[in-house]
Amino acid sequence: MASSSLNCHNSHSLNGCSNPNSTPTKKPKLSFISDSEIESEFSHHDQIIARINNGSFGSCPQSVISAQQKFQLQFLRQPDNFYFNTLKPSILHSRSIIKSLVNAHSVDEISLVDNATTAAAIVLQNCAWGFDGGIFNKGDVAVMLHYAYGAVKKSVQAYVTRAGGEVIEVQLPFPVGSKEEIVSEFRKALEKGKENGKKRVRLAVIDHVTSMPSVVIPVKELVKICREEGVDQVFVDAAHGIGCVDVDVRDIGADFYTSNLHKWFFCPPSVAFLYCRKRGEEGNMGDLHLHHPVVSHEYGNGLAVESAWIGTRDYSAQLVVPAVLEFINRFEGGIEGIKRRNHEKVVEMGEMLVKAWGTSLGSLPEMCASMIMVGLPACLEISSESDTLKLRTHLRDHFQVEVPIYFRAPIDGEVSSITGYARISHQVYNKDDDYYRFRDAVNQLVSDGITCASLSN
Amino acid sequence: MEEAKNPLNGGDSSPTQVSKKPRISGSITEHEIRQEFSHHNPKVARINNGSFGSCPGSVLAAQKNWQLQFLQQPDDFYFNTLRKGILHSRTVIKDLIHADDVDEISLVDNATTAAAIVLQQIGRAFAEGKFAKNDTVLMLHCAYQAVKKSIQAYVTRAGGSVIEVQLPFPVNSNEEIIAEFKRGLKKGKANGKNIRLAIIDHITSMPCVVIPVKELVKICREEGVEQVFVDAAHAIGSVDINVEEIGADFYVSNLHKWFFCPPSVAFLYCKKASSEFDVHHPVVSHEYGNGLPIESGWIGTRDYSSQLVVPAALEFVNRFQDGIQGIMKRNHEEVVKMGKMLAESWRTNLGSPPEMCAGMIMVGLPSRLCVSSEDDALRLRSHLRECHGVEVPIHYQGLRDGEEEVKDKDGAITAYARISHQVYNKFEDYCSLRDAINDLAENRQICRSIYPD
Repeated sequence: MASSSLNCHNSHSLNGCSNPNSTPTKKPKLSFISDSEIESEFSHHDQIIARINNGSFGSCPQSVISAQQKFQLQFLRQPDNFYFNTLKPSILHSRSIIKSLVNAHSVDEISLVDNATTAAAIVLQNCAWGFDGGIFNKGDVAVMLHYAYGAVKKSVQAYVTRAGGEVIEVQLPFPVGSKEEIVSEFRKALEKGKENGKKRVRLAVIDHVTSMPSVVIPVKELVKICREEGVDQVFVDAAHGIGCVDVDVRDIGADFYTSNLHKWFFCPPSVAFLYCRKRGEEGNMGDLHLHHPVVSHEYGNGLAVESAWIGTRDYSAQLVVPAVLEFINRFEGGIEGIKRRNHEKVVEMGEMLVKAWGTSLGSLPEMCASMIMVGLPACLEISSESDTLKLRTHLRDHFQVEVPIYFRAPIDGEVSSITGYARISHQVYNKDDDYYRFRDAVNQLVSDGITCASLSN
Repeated sequence: MEEAKNPLNGGDSSPTQVSKKPRISGSITEHEIRQEFSHHNPKVARINNGSFGSCPGSVLAAQKNWQLQFLQQPDDFYFNTLRKGILHSRTVIKDLIHADDVDEISLVDNATTAAAIVLQQIGRAFAEGKFAKNDTVLMLHCAYQAVKKSIQAYVTRAGGSVIEVQLPFPVNSNEEIIAEFKRGLKKGKANGKNIRLAIIDHITSMPCVVIPVKELVKICREEGVEQVFVDAAHAIGSVDINVEEIGADFYVSNLHKWFFCPPSVAFLYCKKASSEFDVHHPVVSHEYGNGLPIESGWIGTRDYSSQLVVPAALEFVNRFQDGIQGIMKRNHEEVVKMGKMLAESWRTNLGSPPEMCAGMIMVGLPSRLCVSSEDDALRLRSHLRECHGVEVPIHYQGLRDGEEEVKDKDGAITAYARISHQVYNKFEDYCSLRDAINDLAENRQICRSIYPD
């Protein structure tokens, strides 16, 4: 795993310059971060809230925020000097760290963008050029998961459908019982897309961890199937990737892979990386040219360089990756230890909740990373998406619990009565008490006979 | 409408001391101004506000407040705070630029992003066959490099062609610009070409000149240009803006350059009557299709705080005598004064008359500096930064066919310094530049070492 090489990055200081010779933290490396230090690092979180939704907006420790502020101040102090002498090498430093973390072949393959939504626009705009330029035939296909993120679905509509491509959605079962169910549905969708060889599947968009409902997808297997079936390009949307699941881009084998760093990798809002596999002699993509949609004078210098300058902006979130690495390595086992403990804890808490409520989990523990879907009692009568929003708001306003709720529409002939699932997250700042409070809140609602219909809008 | 937490009440720690005096218009003191910009490097004569702008401590404090709110409870921020804050900022801007309707105002990162939005729409029209191959986009020869590349990426690549209109520099009057523009436009239309879009700078970047946009937009309409996009990156806080009078379909200006916002935020005005031109933010979110202002208000998880402090920037501006009008007037007067001081000391020229400048002016550099390429200009700029503590961009003005050289006593003037004046600038800043250039001109030895053969 790439993580063993992370220790050599410890010497990078927190003051925002890439100086490998500067002294690092003052503590000896022998002791790991303590509970009270963790509390202090996240003391800016609203302490009243049971914050069990790290998945939506992520979190950032104080020491990384401080590192970010140093960069911001450097820019404000003398922006021309920052632009000419500091920005580019600092972005390169961040990209190099990520390249090692994800096992990319070359740092040229790593670009930094705002978020996975931006990465999707880049990949999909490139796909649209294929249609507009006549390289693809109208009616050629893009495949995506039914549970693809809302923004990605719209992006596929805006770029692919608009350009004449056809979109096929992979229907995934939820609750899901095994990886095989997912693989089987995926194969079916590809078959449909190819229409007995009459069409080409130009792009497959596959989530590594779906958002709502949240399930870990067997991406490596799906990418392999794509290759076997002659899919032109595969884009893995791993918004919840780095810091959540194992990310080895060469092993996964996709053409494009994106992950947010502000969700599970302790970066401030916002920064993501987009990996674009270098095509050596293989891969005949014609005159397709991948570029950042916001075009600057760097246009034509490759996506990584383009993305590093898209006009005057605050790039500080992209510059603190070294500081994040330092933070992570204060934990036992570094990022691997954090992932493992998050997973164990979220499964433990998920199982505690379903036991308390008499419900069930949305997937097996091995198909979860640091989030899990927990069935909500049927008597809450969650019967629409707007019900889930009402319930979520009620939990926030009346119980100070922050957790997203998913509406799972019943299918004809189904016996199961669970129509709502809560997606609970676990990150290093969470405490068992956060989940007990959620447990008690729902129990209170149940005992009070509250239904979503009775909640105000 | 939810009030932004007032940073002026010392709500959280900020880098500068915030005065607790009541905020009366015209009451800001010299001392307070110094404090507001105390985070600037005091060792640098910072006469380049035009490139990256500047932001006072109280607006930075307001921004930190927004950032903290998000970090504290991001879900609550997203559901209950963000949209209202953005709408408030858009409303402030609508009033400042005399737009008809807040729906015409979108907030984006910068003018570069706005250009991508307008040009991507043009590119789509080519792709969908709405425009014919070789339909044309017109731009100024001195258009900002990012805009030129954006045209390449979205127009040329889609089969469109491009016309560049050369404007004279140095320039002596609006009439020269208008005449050249008319000439260039007519030439572009030769052979029955259809001009689908004209991109006109309100204030060109390098070399810097205030363009008579209202007249040029009128000419565009008369000549049947379909869409007009005014790139006014430098405008707000520099010149008066009345978008209805200017009459363009699209108008963008950066708020972090001359309107005291932190990096970065710009507004893109899209005339309601031109809503047939279907613009979208290129970063597509679930808000796709809800109109550009709403699309731009959510393009995925990001730090939107710079978009939320526009009201705080207005509050800052209103502490000055006559608010933004007063600031613009004084910046203009000072930069002209300083420009004349420098031109006199160096015995060179100004690139344009005072009435064609706002808060920036081009000052000819002594020909003895022998700047003979853009690389030379960049090296000179670095030298001034590193050895003289002066930050100022240098423009290389190559000689063009048929044009007369502008000369000083030693030869042709080939380079201009673009000096800016903002509220934090001092006379000494310009003296530093004056003396540095005089030293360099005196001491030809140094010049040769700056530009290796």
